[in-house]
Amino acid sequence: MRAWVAVALLACAGCAPVAPYQRAYLARPDMALDASPGMMRAMERTFSAKEAANGGSSVGGGGCGCN
Amino acid sequence: MHSGSEAPGSLHALSRAALALPILAIPVEAGAAEIGEMGFTILGYKERGLMKVVEPVLWGKARIGETWEVQANVALDIVSGASPEGVSNISGTPVQLVSAASVTDRRYLGDVRVSRRMGELTLGISRSFSEENDYRSHAYGIEARWDLNERNTTLAFGYGQSADSIGSTLEPTLDERRDTREYLFGVTQVLSRFDLVQSTVTVARGRGWFNDPYKFTRTFYPDGAPAFLFDLRPSSRDSFAWLTRYRRHVPGADGTLQAEYRYYSDDWDVRAHTLEVAWQQSLGERWAVRPALRYHTQGAARFYSPVVPRPAPAELSSDPRLAAFGGISTSVRGILKLDGGLLIELTVGNVHNTRDFRAGGNGSPTYPTLQAWYGILGISRPF
Repeated sequence: MRAWVAVALLACAGCAPVAPYQRAYLARPDMALDASPGMMRAMERTFSAKEAANGGSSVGGGGCGCN
Repeated sequence: MHSGSEAPGSLHALSRAALALPILAIPVEAGAAEIGEMGFTILGYKERGLMKVVEPVLWGKARIGETWEVQANVALDIVSGASPEGVSNISGTPVQLVSAASVTDRRYLGDVRVSRRMGELTLGISRSFSEENDYRSHAYGIEARWDLNERNTTLAFGYGQSADSIGSTLEPTLDERRDTREYLFGVTQVLSRFDLVQSTVTVARGRGWFNDPYKFTRTFYPDGAPAFLFDLRPSSRDSFAWLTRYRRHVPGADGTLQAEYRYYSDDWDVRAHTLEVAWQQSLGERWAVRPALRYHTQGAARFYSPVVPRPAPAELSSDPRLAAFGGISTSVRGILKLDGGLLIELTVGNVHNTRDFRAGGNGSPTYPTLQAWYGILGISRPF
């Protein structure tokens, strides 16, 4: 855990803060890290049922008997 | 990708930018009268020679007052067609068997999330369920987000717990449980006016029943009686997933690079890498197109085997999902923004999984090639 906090602080150290009035590009819809909830669920359904790997972005999602 | 209707430089975009929260999917202020968004998505998925999936999803999210946000989704997962059952070497080499009759299965699922912002801290809770005739899952999650450095940095902490009940339509007396705990830590960092990155680590610990009650392995020997073994997996699974996502807008091209990489490993000895790269290109004020390429490669679980060795082991599964293989998926999404914020997205893609695509070679020789096509239609609008 401490290693990850250190990584986070190091990542911050090299970045100049971007003021709120400079974030027009960051607020673009295509800059969002998550797609719409429906699109995310559909993409996860497409791949997760056929691969051994899963998860990484959230917790508390539960499981399924997908075959 | 989730979107609204404003373009950079407009008054709406500037007000959103001023309050932009990198890891929240809903704009804090999308307009004077807009407090949320709702949408409908439907997935159509078809495998060559195997199953078909149709999954409609209804979703919505809204702000309540100045500090509360609610998000809810409900979906129906309809699976039909031939289902992979077991592996048999009666023909000389192990081959995947599929169910003789077409199966139809319906799964009802939903989740709700509530969060509250308190200064630089946002706390959220979630509850989800998934119900089908042979599997039930109930889960909840807690998440905290802490904005730092003038909201250029966000730390995320999460905990989730799920309780699953497993049954079987072939064995009515089967009633097993599986419990999973998940822990999440993530960092989102604004790198510049044009790009940001998010890196998240998730650790999961599962205990209970992991066998697939519909899978088996049948092996014929040149000497001696054949062996038949139902799917037998460990009673625990500890996993680690590290997901990093990067976004960079290129103003000169009016396009955005979207890249994601995930490393996965668990104590079943599965190691996997997944990389997706997409480019979203704006075509005027209303249209955008997003081609994407996804590559996945994984090693086999330590107990994966398409044949039953002698003597029979305590753990064995011939489930192709636990084999060593690689997969390439290409897709293209068209996005249309209409008046009033109405957004229409159509994604078409294909999935091609084969032993030959595994990075470094050594894919499982008996892995059955998977070919599938999918289409996703999404419609949403703010309110």
